[in-house]
Amino acid sequence: MELTDKLIILADAAKYDVSCASSGAPKRSSKGREGLGSTDGMGICHSFTPDGRCVSLLKILLTNFCLYDCQYCVNRRSSNVPRARFTPEEVVRLTLDFYRRNMISGLFLSSGIIRSSDHTMEQLIQVARLLREEHHFRGYIHLKTIPDADPQLIAQAGLYADRLSVNIELPTETELLRLAPEKNGQSIKKAMGTIRLGVEEAETERKSPRFAPAGQSTQMIVGADATNDRVILDTAQRLYGAYRLKRVYYSAFSPIPDSPRSVPLTPPPLLREHRLYQADFLMRGYGFNAAELPTESGNLPLDIDPKLAWALSNRDIFPLDLNRAEPSLIARVPGIGVLTAKRLATLRQQRRIRYADLIRLRCSLEKAKPFIIVQDYRPALALADSQHLRYQLSEQPAQLALW
Amino acid sequence: MHSVVFDGTFAGWRACARQLLEQAVPPEKINWHDSVGSSDLFAQAEPSLAEKSTYTIRVPRQLADLLASAVCFRSDDRWALLYRILWRVVQGDPSAMLAGDEDGSELHRRIKAVHREVHHLHAFLRFRPYERNALPAYVAWHEPAHDVLELAAPHFCDRMGNLSWLIATPDAAALWDGKSLRFERPCPDALKAIAQQQRDEGDSLWQAYYASTFNPARVNSRALANHMPRRFWKDLPEGPLIPTLLSDARIGAQQLAQAEAVGAQAGKTVLIAAERAQPKREPVTALDECRRCELWQQATQAVPGEGPVTARIMLIGEQPGDQEDLAGRPFIGPAGQVLDRALNEAGLDRHALYLTNAVKHFKWTPQGLRRKHVTPDKEIAACRPWLLQELADVRPEIIVALGATAFEALLGYRPEALANYKARPLPLEGGWLIVTYHPSYPLRIQEAAQREAAFQEIVSTLRQARELLEPDKYREKQT
Repeated sequence: MELTDKLIILADAAKYDVSCASSGAPKRSSKGREGLGSTDGMGICHSFTPDGRCVSLLKILLTNFCLYDCQYCVNRRSSNVPRARFTPEEVVRLTLDFYRRNMISGLFLSSGIIRSSDHTMEQLIQVARLLREEHHFRGYIHLKTIPDADPQLIAQAGLYADRLSVNIELPTETELLRLAPEKNGQSIKKAMGTIRLGVEEAETERKSPRFAPAGQSTQMIVGADATNDRVILDTAQRLYGAYRLKRVYYSAFSPIPDSPRSVPLTPPPLLREHRLYQADFLMRGYGFNAAELPTESGNLPLDIDPKLAWALSNRDIFPLDLNRAEPSLIARVPGIGVLTAKRLATLRQQRRIRYADLIRLRCSLEKAKPFIIVQDYRPALALADSQHLRYQLSEQPAQLALW
Repeated sequence: MHSVVFDGTFAGWRACARQLLEQAVPPEKINWHDSVGSSDLFAQAEPSLAEKSTYTIRVPRQLADLLASAVCFRSDDRWALLYRILWRVVQGDPSAMLAGDEDGSELHRRIKAVHREVHHLHAFLRFRPYERNALPAYVAWHEPAHDVLELAAPHFCDRMGNLSWLIATPDAAALWDGKSLRFERPCPDALKAIAQQQRDEGDSLWQAYYASTFNPARVNSRALANHMPRRFWKDLPEGPLIPTLLSDARIGAQQLAQAEAVGAQAGKTVLIAAERAQPKREPVTALDECRRCELWQQATQAVPGEGPVTARIMLIGEQPGDQEDLAGRPFIGPAGQVLDRALNEAGLDRHALYLTNAVKHFKWTPQGLRRKHVTPDKEIAACRPWLLQELADVRPEIIVALGATAFEALLGYRPEALANYKARPLPLEGGWLIVTYHPSYPLRIQEAAQREAAFQEIVSTLRQARELLEPDKYREKQT
């Protein structure tokens, strides 16, 4: 099989993993040295596909032959898809070539389970080892970690990779048992635990070898089962706490060819995935607790974003006087972000904040207006009831697609 | 009106600005000309500015950095804005440089646009290998919207290592020979020609990847155009593909996520019996399968006791903590280290003891993105059978209860005050039970002397446990 043909199959097979981050790696440079590649902690999106998603890494599977039969996965053993397998050298060649052309910032390598978990993990490590040791590649490497692999192998993977990830797959262990009979919730959690211990050991002991310096992430599939957003966000918060994940990625279940009956035929609305990311961002960047975010019969509202939903159900806090309030509370106002909150705090040390300042700081004033008081502005709408306000501020439903 | 002509560099502007400030020329009285050839219709003959000035202006260091980044923004009034802000700051109005100010917000908008353009160059520039055995090894053509080449090019020295390269833009070029970087402004035509060479086969490999990694079921052209502005498409190998991919996805030829090139091929299932596909795992222990309470859902794993079944002393703690939960072993976290120290001082060998917890799963609650220990309550009774099993297996002569939870697990009620039981061995099933603090207790005490006292309390209890193993000696001591 030609290299191009393999690439077409194995990139298609890998695209359901949505993570493509290349950020968080330590500073590395190849300036004036043998080898190739640099990282500086910031990720670079080298392209965007027409689905609006970033292409930062060469994201491929080593092989899409797989022993497992996870119902939601296009590569499950009972799936009728074309199959291919790269040699480690082919992956190395593709990575280096694309990297020199400035098309990617590194490699995200995953694989179907072949022979055994340990064997599969060894194959992934082999590619990373070739890149790092034979070719002195200093770009970003993200390795998917096979949950049942020997902890020794995970330790070895952490030596070469910037980021490791174990997919939690589904929000609850019962659903995992139902849809992915070969997977095991506890193996997944244990692997995450092993990675966290490895990362922390490398951070605290200065002489210890490096271990996945960009930390670990995971992915949860949304809409392949009936689990609601409340449970999904609780699971995410639990994972952040227990395993110090850098990110939880939510992947709206994509319809796959020859879909088995155990999974839905239609995808969940992409907006649901978007709302989950917004809620996740509020937990990571704004100090919100999962339980604080209001849901309606278990799901985040689709017509308004979670921050606005929170503000609408906490009207007693608002309107908030931006000239007096705590910056952390200002950041909770809909339409005002953390950065703007910080800038407002700096500005008010110089003088009182006025309405025009908010315009200049590019606050989303449509949203913020009913919730704030500044020197020369006080909302008349504050009296309006929340239902009415919600109707005004909700994103109007887009026209249905014609096809 | 002052007409200021200078070389168009930031350093040149700074020299002029310093002299204008010295002469207290207000911003609205200046016309800036950043190339010598340009003429000003309304210019009057000006006495030329003095060559060198010793006049010093005091401005925040941060301002100089802000001005230096904003200068790369292409705009007719780029020099005027910088001078106006500088003027206002010197006049004692530092809010001019804040994002909330009228001029400041424009300054920050420009800086942001410049950073964005640097990022665009890092992201969307594409190198192609130049002719075989010729130098430079790689060449690229890129059209930035602002004058960012000097800011952006050093990134590629780090990235490409020893490989030499050329980046040409409409008005400047950057050349790296593997050791040093140099710029040419304006860009010589010869370099432009080299950089704008034909596509090669490497591009088609990338096109194959791009089309395949795209998920047509999620088509979203607005997000695409937001993140990757159209003006870059013409120089990207994937650029020509975009309209086709978009329209194919839209006309519904694609309801699936799979790429068309893959769907058209014959498929193959992997033939293996379901039983044989099951991965080999350590058999799950009964303890790990325990569902007598809800804690298993939050925990990574159950943490069983550790130590020889022949151990004569058993130490019982409360529950595994954060570290214990991850590693699956008792007493290895901060409290475990306190315990190790205490055992050392008491002359006990950890490996000769049996260490366990009253509750086998970690009970915690999320606090932000951390986990916070929660004292178990009803879980103590739920987990008791596991503790009784361990007691039956090990049959220790001495049991040391570390803290109130262990006490409750053994005796069925919570002690009113642990201090009442301290250093007073209770007979229990033919052996002794002694009670002391949990080793995490000293960790929570702020005051050093009290902390040490609590620690010594634990040490003396452990010492007592050792002495109890030699009953004659113990009785002697009591009388």
